[in-house]
Amino acid sequence: MNLVRSELLKIRTTNTWWVFGLITLPLWGLTLLINYFQSQAVLDPASVGVPESEQNAQFQAAGEHVNVAANLYTNGQFFGVLIVMLLGVLVVTNEFFHQTATTTFLTTPHRTAVVLAKLIAAGILGLIFWVVTTGLNLIFTPLILGSLDVSSQLGEGAIWQAIGLNGLAYLLWAIFGIGFGVLIRSQIGATVTALLVYLAGYIGAIIVLAILADRFGDWINNLQLIVPSLASQLMATGTDLPGSPPRWAGAAVMVAYAVVTGTIGTLIMRKRDVS
Amino acid sequence: MSDGRLSPTAGSGQIVVSGLTKVYRNVRAVDNLSFTVAPGRVTGFLGPNGAGKTTTLRMLLNLVTPTGGTATIGGARYADLSQPIRHVGAVLEASSAHKGRTGINHLRVTCAAAGLPKQRADEALALVGLTPAAKRKFKGYSLGMKQRLGIAAAMLGDPQVLILDEPANGLDPEGIRWMRGFLKALAAEGRTVLVSSHLLSEMQLLADDVVIIAAGKLVRQGQVDEVVGSMAQTGRVRVRTPQGAELTTALTGNGARVTQGEDGVLLIEGTDAPAVGRAALAAKVELHELSTERPDLEGVFLELTAGKAGIR
Repeated sequence: MNLVRSELLKIRTTNTWWVFGLITLPLWGLTLLINYFQSQAVLDPASVGVPESEQNAQFQAAGEHVNVAANLYTNGQFFGVLIVMLLGVLVVTNEFFHQTATTTFLTTPHRTAVVLAKLIAAGILGLIFWVVTTGLNLIFTPLILGSLDVSSQLGEGAIWQAIGLNGLAYLLWAIFGIGFGVLIRSQIGATVTALLVYLAGYIGAIIVLAILADRFGDWINNLQLIVPSLASQLMATGTDLPGSPPRWAGAAVMVAYAVVTGTIGTLIMRKRDVS
Repeated sequence: MSDGRLSPTAGSGQIVVSGLTKVYRNVRAVDNLSFTVAPGRVTGFLGPNGAGKTTTLRMLLNLVTPTGGTATIGGARYADLSQPIRHVGAVLEASSAHKGRTGINHLRVTCAAAGLPKQRADEALALVGLTPAAKRKFKGYSLGMKQRLGIAAAMLGDPQVLILDEPANGLDPEGIRWMRGFLKALAAEGRTVLVSSHLLSEMQLLADDVVIIAAGKLVRQGQVDEVVGSMAQTGRVRVRTPQGAELTTALTGNGARVTQGEDGVLLIEGTDAPAVGRAALAAKVELHELSTERPDLEGVFLELTAGKAGIR
């Protein structure tokens, strides 16, 4: 517990957290705007000129009120979890970049405890980001839905499930961040790698999966599960979408990734010479 | 400890290094090294660059895993100490703090992790005279202030044992004198103080004992006077005279070895100052200076580590 307090104090006593918070807010606003237009499009396809032939089962499912609402209530996830992951990276790499690892491990020679404290601290940080963005979403989404003649949908269990799974996503991405930081000690190296894995993995995987699905059939789409950024998006959809794997599978894959990176990170940290 | 006073905690603070070895790929950075460090004394840990001083200290502190051998503090390995910073304080790099964090917060982070009360941070900062800079960010600290902050961090747990790696680096003369007084006072309280350095003149003023290593191996351990004395039983006699040739003739007749220095200075070995004075009087040679050159740690160190230093 002392160690977690110490780790949170480390975060609090530098300007990183509020700088990242300030970056997150406009990105949240940007995604809200995009999601607003998207919601308009899926709720009333004709108004934005989507031809009827394109309106397949998946499109219709996405247009269900509860799914539109779930998307809005989890708005900001795309950049939010990215920021949280980068904070996780910094929590570890700062120790090497600023040569504080020595002090940290002198104070606590049991390195497993140190890594655990970092995982918990980063997780708490991730959840704080989730709480703030969710709070904002709970204010703005009913307004958007109201303007589109849809009720707030807050009576639907699926909405709260989506919000909860969204929180899990924030938690898990923070843990991934720690994993990246431990695996790649260089601050720049770890940050760039994490960014690439997240963004390139996201866009690249969508393209590759689309091509493969064309060639080998729709079952390929299930592979989106193994891409963490797609898996976490999947988690935050309101109900299971046709043609996509179930949400719990996305969550299970994410948890597995987090456990693996956390364990590998801890094992490496235990062995490594600090100099 | 709880009252925050600087009183040594109970228990022996003896450091015992035994057969310690660290192999990096093909380099034996530390090679079967054994020595002990006694409480109540300042021990200088000396060696040329790359001798393995830092690696040894890091193995002692569980930061680097030894390839072989053991290192204990008060009979226990560092990793086995229940609250290590209450027993051992260490100052390793000057720049070991987050640049955007204030000095006082740097210390509070460690207090939090060790379960020490927050006030210890203020007390430790006051101890090193850094209170006025408490709320300044670390990046604004001078090298000397960084060293003081490192010492403050080491003193947080009021430890029985202090280990410092090159603490005089970057300090101005005033800072070096402060450090000397500070460490001597800690040793006088019965604490163990182990200081690595390559500033030999400073070490001669500061240390009671020395451990000299080169190429990862122990070269000599003992009291400073003893180690210095053992290498040069008789000092060199230094003479300045306008009649160098006459004196040289007189002295070499007595079996002394004379070498010519600059400005009419003669350096004489194999005899002592009274004998040189007597010979000069007998030969009616005019002397402007007659003194015995004390052997110093630097000379002894260079002699002991000659040919063992350098890049490996």
